[in-house]
Amino acid sequence: MDPLLTFIVILVGFYGLATSNNIIKSVFCITIIESGIILLFLNLGNFEGGTIPIIGEDVVAIVDPLPQALMITTIVIGSTVTALALMLCIKLFHHYGSIEWSKIFGKGDAS
Amino acid sequence: MLSSVSRKLILIAAMAVVFGLFAASLIDLASLYNDATKDYFFEHGFEETGSNNLVTGILLDYRLFDSLFEAGILLVAVSGVIWVSKHDFADKNPNFMIDKYKTPDLFISFARLVYPLLLAFGLYIILNGHLSPGGGFQGGALAATAILILYFIDKNKETDIKRIVTIEKVLYLAIILVALLSLFTRSTAFTNFVAPAAGRQWQVVYLVTLNVLIGLKVAFGLWTIFTAFLKEGR
Repeated sequence: MDPLLTFIVILVGFYGLATSNNIIKSVFCITIIESGIILLFLNLGNFEGGTIPIIGEDVVAIVDPLPQALMITTIVIGSTVTALALMLCIKLFHHYGSIEWSKIFGKGDAS
Repeated sequence: MLSSVSRKLILIAAMAVVFGLFAASLIDLASLYNDATKDYFFEHGFEETGSNNLVTGILLDYRLFDSLFEAGILLVAVSGVIWVSKHDFADKNPNFMIDKYKTPDLFISFARLVYPLLLAFGLYIILNGHLSPGGGFQGGALAATAILILYFIDKNKETDIKRIVTIEKVLYLAIILVALLSLFTRSTAFTNFVAPAAGRQWQVVYLVTLNVLIGLKVAFGLWTIFTAFLKEGR
């Protein structure tokens, strides 16, 4: 059941990406999709009663450390990609005077 | 031309189809994911990597090749941000976006208190990456946040962005060299250059070295990114 809920978060991000007219909103929709993917992966290795994957005394059941290690990569890459996208937004605003897709593409249809 | 409402309805219907496909794929979850790697890491991870924190062990030992490219992507993104931002490096005295007269005094006072604590906490996270939750990437992000607070305290703070990027490139080369050291000692690249037979106290040397290098690199990279943003906002 939990993977389905995280997939809904991903779909919310896709819906916003398809319908938003503001470029900054589009960038944050990409961030929402990323959050959904991170939750999905962390859900896979998780189970009831599992402890953090640190070896110590009287540790009997740990959650899977591999998805956590992979998701560190996702978080670092996501933050840098967001920074690059926002810098491109600033450049687009300086060039076109607007951060709306409809004005940048020269269409009047602001839906 | 469809109206905007019907277009959104078609979009929702398409997403429902995708959701149905995903739910159908979850029925056969056992073939997509199993606990084999978890059991292996739980039994052998501590002896093979010398790291209590298995996530750090995977990042710095089993999957070091991934981590190298992760740090490389950070370097490429920093280069991209600097390349896209049209900042003139010859301009030695930029007016930063943060105006001291608009920042509340209360915030500045608390920033002076929080800054050393945050920097020390970042260093703690980096140095204890093999014992407790954390590591180079997380601690580096914390240290970079502390440096960001420094801009609020001192408005006239100047940053030589070119020198920071040079230091970051040198650190990245150092990470690759440390990762390649195992080629000479254990004749396999991208793993711990200390064999597990040498004892845990020598394996920890490698883990702490690489964590510190990665932490400094991430801190300098994020510092460069937000300095570029501040200069862009003039």
